[in-house]
Amino acid sequence: MSDQVGAPTSERIRFDDVHLGFGRGRQRLEVLDGVGFTVGAGEFVSVLGPSGCGKSTLLNLAAGFLRPDAGAVAVDGEEVRGLDARRGVVFQQYAIFPWLTVEKNIAFGLTLRANRRPTAEVREVVARYVRLMGLEGFEKALPKTLSGGMRQRVALARAYATDPDVMLLDEPFAALDAQTREYMQELLHDTSRQDRRAAMLITHSVEEAIFLSRRIVVLTNRPTRVHEVVDVDVAWPRTPQSRHTPEFVELRQHLEEVMRSMTLRPGREPREKEHR
Amino acid sequence: MTATVRRVLLPLAGIALALAAWWLASELDDRTPGPVAVLGVVGRGLVEPDGLLLDTRLSVLRVLIGVALGATAAVPVGFALAWFPVVRAMFNPLVSFFRALPPLALIPLVIVYLGIGETARISVLTYAAFFSAVIVIYESVAAVDDLYVRAGLALGATQLELFRRVVVPLTVPQLFVAVRVALGVCWATVVAAELVAAQRGLGAMMQDAQNFFRQDEVYAGIILIGLSALVMDKLVQLAMARTVRWQERVAR
Repeated sequence: MSDQVGAPTSERIRFDDVHLGFGRGRQRLEVLDGVGFTVGAGEFVSVLGPSGCGKSTLLNLAAGFLRPDAGAVAVDGEEVRGLDARRGVVFQQYAIFPWLTVEKNIAFGLTLRANRRPTAEVREVVARYVRLMGLEGFEKALPKTLSGGMRQRVALARAYATDPDVMLLDEPFAALDAQTREYMQELLHDTSRQDRRAAMLITHSVEEAIFLSRRIVVLTNRPTRVHEVVDVDVAWPRTPQSRHTPEFVELRQHLEEVMRSMTLRPGREPREKEHR
Repeated sequence: MTATVRRVLLPLAGIALALAAWWLASELDDRTPGPVAVLGVVGRGLVEPDGLLLDTRLSVLRVLIGVALGATAAVPVGFALAWFPVVRAMFNPLVSFFRALPPLALIPLVIVYLGIGETARISVLTYAAFFSAVIVIYESVAAVDDLYVRAGLALGATQLELFRRVVVPLTVPQLFVAVRVALGVCWATVVAAELVAAQRGLGAMMQDAQNFFRQDEVYAGIILIGLSALVMDKLVQLAMARTVRWQERVAR
């Protein structure tokens, strides 16, 4: 049934005993306290954790927006030292460029020096992702005329278009309504499954994590460590019916219990230091 | 229907109310010329080749040149201040000082160095436009949403590409705002500058009229200054609406 080998043959993203804190002295806030896990080739891994535990910090480390205080973050065996178009990022907020049309947003990465392609190829890639993301007829539309779900489809298309080695998704559907979110999860699942690109999804939704992932990395409260890594034994590929299978329901109950047990201790929200 | 009422009828009603109040004041106080008399002066003055039309044209031209020179110079300086921390640290105090300084305070100096000719007036106006625009541009670049910067970087943009293709498009609406602010400051400055030292122009015309107790001409000057400034502001707004179609407007 499976259209992909079960065990990943090689790892693409590796977090190795990563420590990171913000602030100094008595203001110091330890966020990551020795986080380690990997994402294999072609594997879809979700990072699940209570709010404020530093999930997005992990993504910012993988993307290169942040550097760890100790430990290492590597993509394809190479330590992440800065930003790079080889890692595609989709943000929680609507980060598509409001002054560009849908097709120009999707083409944006391909017109940069880092991954410039001939015009004919750009047109072809844009057309492909317009089709994949169901954006036909909206090529010339400005983002202000699009719904939230469509904006995130443009954001996905824009990230896919540069053909990155890994996809980093930072709660991309958190701002959407429940129905749109399920549809987007199915769309992302189909796209990433056919595409077989390694992906790391940050989410606080148990349902979303199970539906999309091969494995789920569950984080603890701050200072954050890996609580457990769960293999998702739900038939692959996933369909809307997957959500009702006993395996899915059982795992959801387990993870929801884990999440509930981790009540957030009172403390400051981490303020991220970012560098360009 | 309601839109027509709000957009056309209510503003007209407001203007009618103001004219009525003006007319009432002119009936009660003989120092105040009525709206009909003043509009007559405006109308006659605008058809005379050497009359109010010339003064209006001169004032408008001075403002336009001042804004064009000042705002154009402000663009690279504003961007440099916002983009390069070293430039900002070095020049921000100076920019703040000169911006806080009223342009008219420079007139005594300008007269010494540049005399009282057109160069002197244009210099003061350019100065006024430059410092009012520079701060708007600087702040608009500084206020660029980090999200778009991060998105651009994640797609592989270099610093130059980021600046040219993300920061500049995002600040275009604010460039129009900068021009509008510069226009406002320049109108305030041009009238005062012409009051002090000019043969022609709306400010000079009003000064003359006041010396000869021609109240209706003073009023005509005020009307023409207000209308000219209003028309120029509206034109910039119109240009902005046509250029920046992508902006999301908050519905009220």
